[in-house]
Amino acid sequence: MKARKIFLTDDEIPRQWYNILADIKMNPPLGPDGNPISPDDLAPVFPMNIIEQEVSDQRWIDIPEPVLDVLTLWRPAPLVRARSLEKALNTPAKIYYKNESLSPPGSHKPNTAVPQAYYNKEFGIERITTETGAGQWGSALSFACCQFGIECNVYMVRVSFDQKPYRKSMMEAWGGRCMASPSNQTEAGRAALERDPNTPGSLGIAISEAIEAAVNDSTGKTRYSLGSVLNHVMLHQTIIGLEAKKQMDMIGQYPDVIIGCAGGGSNFAGLAFPFVQDKINGKQIEIYPVEPAACPTLTKGPFVYDHGDTAKYTPLLPMHSLGHAFVPPPFHAGGLRYHGMAPTVSQLVVEGLIEPKSVTQLDAYKAGVLVARSEGLIPAPETTHALACVVDEAIKAREEGKEKVILFTWSGHGLLDFGAYDKYFSGQLQNDVLPDEELAKSEKVFENHPKPQKLKSR
Amino acid sequence: MPSDIETLERRCPRLGSSVTFGYCEQCGENALPCTKVFDCWWEYFNVTEYLKGRLSEEAFATLAQSPPKPKVNSILELIQQAKNR
Repeated sequence: MKARKIFLTDDEIPRQWYNILADIKMNPPLGPDGNPISPDDLAPVFPMNIIEQEVSDQRWIDIPEPVLDVLTLWRPAPLVRARSLEKALNTPAKIYYKNESLSPPGSHKPNTAVPQAYYNKEFGIERITTETGAGQWGSALSFACCQFGIECNVYMVRVSFDQKPYRKSMMEAWGGRCMASPSNQTEAGRAALERDPNTPGSLGIAISEAIEAAVNDSTGKTRYSLGSVLNHVMLHQTIIGLEAKKQMDMIGQYPDVIIGCAGGGSNFAGLAFPFVQDKINGKQIEIYPVEPAACPTLTKGPFVYDHGDTAKYTPLLPMHSLGHAFVPPPFHAGGLRYHGMAPTVSQLVVEGLIEPKSVTQLDAYKAGVLVARSEGLIPAPETTHALACVVDEAIKAREEGKEKVILFTWSGHGLLDFGAYDKYFSGQLQNDVLPDEELAKSEKVFENHPKPQKLKSR
Repeated sequence: MPSDIETLERRCPRLGSSVTFGYCEQCGENALPCTKVFDCWWEYFNVTEYLKGRLSEEAFATLAQSPPKPKVNSILELIQQAKNR
């Protein structure tokens, strides 16, 4: 029998996080006065020990012993050889993944929730507030606060609160207090309810509530916590990649391709940043953050001769098009969109150290189901985006006859996301639901254009 | 445009749960559409044209051309707003 999993023992867990800010240059965030933001500006919401990490350029930062003690409840996470997926794809590629779904809340999020709860506790904080969408982050923080005896108040966006009641139960199991946002606990919430008592809420309102609850606690014992985007969050997640490097070393392998789904960027950064450091130092490695497709190549449009521009200056070219009048906004250039993404991840894109990929939701679920039916685990919807890219790379390896080593993060399980799978199985998810009348309207602009032939070279 | 456009559903990458287009149309700052509305709905219908017809020119320009603020700046703004309440 061939081993599938590569384990580290508890005492082999990495003792330091890797801080990428030591190896890249970043423009500092600027405040409203145009000057760089100072640590004191953030002090109303974060404890100073976390702010110090946020701005630190020290390459290696020690992981405190009490944090390691909690992390070893499920870490080191196994590195798994996806042999069954390789077989299903008939690929010569060797596919490995870090299984982050084994944490108590089922995702990578506790990797930062735990140290954040610890540092707050160390700073004398007794209560942490946060916002959550579908509840992954709220669950992780509730679990972490429970471990350190801190109160956790979670403002969960009403529309998700109603859809995912089990997340609230999960938070409550760990002693967290989960409130639908808008709530009547804050001025921001009350104002939103006054405007519309039936409002489904929004992340913006939930964040406002969580920050208000921290800022306006007159005891000074409440702070706010964020589960993505910020530098210290990326830092804490690097334990994923640092473990993976040790595990790869143990079997004499090194990845050719690193893949991670990228929403706010934290699970991607967690796996990738330690390998980005190698790339900065000369290693040949492809690193792909994957996100939902924003701007498809419009292959669903008819194959026509069309102008490439709205002003019709360019010659007529044969292309798949929905019409030259069908113009996306300028920031919609496809690939990784920087808005809402961790600034460190965006910077690596700008520097060409990582190359964003995007996949459609249909391809993502298709890959998720393929993996569920081969490896057995059911991935979280965001994980399926990474999986779609893994499948593409594995097929490419087969076509090129290359024995590539592919490494990706299994960022979470999908056991609380069956609503999304139901929609996929019942055919309700589609990549393109452009209505016929809309398509007809688009095609009308081509009626006086010559028709290209659909040529085949072979 | 189809009349039932507001009931179209998809998974929201920010929330992690299912939402209708009608939700995305009003869940942004000051009840404007979400800043990701174009990215998320591009594949479904001509969201650009649809929102151009529904929003004022200024509101559309704000939505389409102003990238969202960096997270740290948003947090600073929210701290200030909270202090003012």
